[in-house]
Amino acid sequence: MSLSVSVVVRSTIVMLVLGFLALAGIVGTTLWLVEQNRAWFEQTTDSREIRSAAIALRSALQDAETGQRGYLLTGEQRYLEPYERSVGQIPALIDRLATVFAPFPEQARAIAKMRTAVAGKLEELSRTIELVRDGHRDEAVAIVLTDEGKVAMDEARALFDQLIDVADQRIDDGVVNQANAADALRWVTIVGAFVIVAVAAGAIWMAMTYTRELSAARQEVVLANAGLEERVRERTADLGRANDEIQRFAYIVTHDLRAPLVNIMGFTSELETSVGELERYIAARGSDDDDPELRAARVAATEDLPEAIGFIRAATRKMDGLINAILRISREGRRQLKPDTLDVKAIAEAAVASVQHQIVEGGGAAVIDATVRTVVSDRLSLEQALGNLLDNAIKYRDPNRPLQIALRAAAVPGNRVAIDVEDNGRGISPADHERVFELFRRAGSLNQPGEGIGLAYVRTIARSLGGDVTLRSELGKGSTFTITLPRDLRRHLEAKST
Amino acid sequence: MSDGKPVTIIMVEDDEGHARLIEKNIRRAGVANEIVPFSNGADALTYLLGPDGSGLASKGRQLLVLLDLNLPDMTGVDILEKVKANEHTRRSPVVVLTTTDDQREIQRCYDLGANVYITKPVDYDGFANAIRQLGLFFSVMQVPETD
Repeated sequence: MSLSVSVVVRSTIVMLVLGFLALAGIVGTTLWLVEQNRAWFEQTTDSREIRSAAIALRSALQDAETGQRGYLLTGEQRYLEPYERSVGQIPALIDRLATVFAPFPEQARAIAKMRTAVAGKLEELSRTIELVRDGHRDEAVAIVLTDEGKVAMDEARALFDQLIDVADQRIDDGVVNQANAADALRWVTIVGAFVIVAVAAGAIWMAMTYTRELSAARQEVVLANAGLEERVRERTADLGRANDEIQRFAYIVTHDLRAPLVNIMGFTSELETSVGELERYIAARGSDDDDPELRAARVAATEDLPEAIGFIRAATRKMDGLINAILRISREGRRQLKPDTLDVKAIAEAAVASVQHQIVEGGGAAVIDATVRTVVSDRLSLEQALGNLLDNAIKYRDPNRPLQIALRAAAVPGNRVAIDVEDNGRGISPADHERVFELFRRAGSLNQPGEGIGLAYVRTIARSLGGDVTLRSELGKGSTFTITLPRDLRRHLEAKST
Repeated sequence: MSDGKPVTIIMVEDDEGHARLIEKNIRRAGVANEIVPFSNGADALTYLLGPDGSGLASKGRQLLVLLDLNLPDMTGVDILEKVKANEHTRRSPVVVLTTTDDQREIQRCYDLGANVYITKPVDYDGFANAIRQLGLFFSVMQVPETD
């Protein structure tokens, strides 16, 4: 399974939102439930208030009745005390009851009835007490016996019970509701916690999966990179093979070109021999100018045929030279290079020494300045390259001034060595700077023998050594050829073979 | 080069000009032996080993093979290998005369039993000279009779 970045971002946002919603749900529900709880608690408190108001009124009424009874029995003023205390309180208590029941209009009738019943009872009580006080106890007892007060009291009691029931009911409701709210709070918390845990787990899973994928992708990049290097190596090897193929091709072509050339040269020789025979025969015939046929034959045998043969020979010799040049270059490309630690200065000195007599001939001189001591390269290649460059310097010297040659070897950046061969010869026009390195191409006045292979050969050598040859030159002032080589040929060969 | 029986020179050379020049120069060296030219490998093998390839055809002959390596239908190395592997022809001297101067090729030819390997000089004088010297060499060398 693979996660795209957008999927990860979207999922992360969704999970964050879900987690936030769960948290908000828990907090919101908790707040709401706390508020509800408070409401239920207030209701319970209110109900207790209601209950206590009802009970207080009932107690006051009962106290009043108790006082009346005691007074009726004894006639003693002190037994009347509870009555007198209560009667003063009762109107206030009734008002209080009415007030606490104000929010319950359905109980308004019961309150009204209560007022009537209480008023009736109080009236009966005060009437009987008045009679006793006036000395008419019998009359008072008779009033009590009419049950008028009892009925009123019973009615009041029933009403009290009803009102207290209402309060109790409300208290019970409040308790149940509170319990329910607590339950609901628990469930909301549990569910919310589950949601949060699930979201957190999802987020962790997503993060881990994504991280794993990232590391897998990185691994792939590393592998792809390695593959790329591998491909570069393969391409390099392909190029090397193609180069070898070209070298082989050049080699085969030159060999195949040689075969017909041998024929041309061989039969030209045969022809020459035959022409010689013919010439001798005609010479032996003497000079009989009267015979036009003999004259024509003489011209053919002594002038035309030798001339033609001469041209054929010159052309075949040139072609032979060209083929040999190609062969030499293709051989150089095929030659196994032997890396060796070479003393650059010694090689330069040897190269100069081998042409010293030609340099000093016109009063010339050569100086060597090597700031780099050794280089690991192929000795023969380097000697041949330097030899060719020195030959050119001598060959294309300026006849108007003594030849000055400078050989310089120095290290250059990139772990390479640059070898300059500078002369004060006739120089090369900028237009020919590239051309002189091409096979069979020459520049300037062709007053010197040559086939145009020297610099092509030097370039082939330099390149097979992992370097190159460049030219700085000004016409009429001199030329500087620079061979740059890797300091260590072995590393170049390793890179090529892998 | 004469032991009663005349030695036959088998010349396997696809280039007719070369064949002619070789023949002329051998003759100039004074060699008068019969030269049988072949311009392709198949005909030469048929002559040397017979149509059945057994080599019985060459029994009793005295042969000297002059072999070019670049042939139109096969390489001279194939012919060399077959000639030197056959019990009837293996003692016949084989002179490889070719333009190839590749060291590996030369080694291979000697490994397979070539008696002489000569690179054709590219200039005619050298070529003619080499052939004439080869002819002189032929005139003094002993060739065994094949059995």
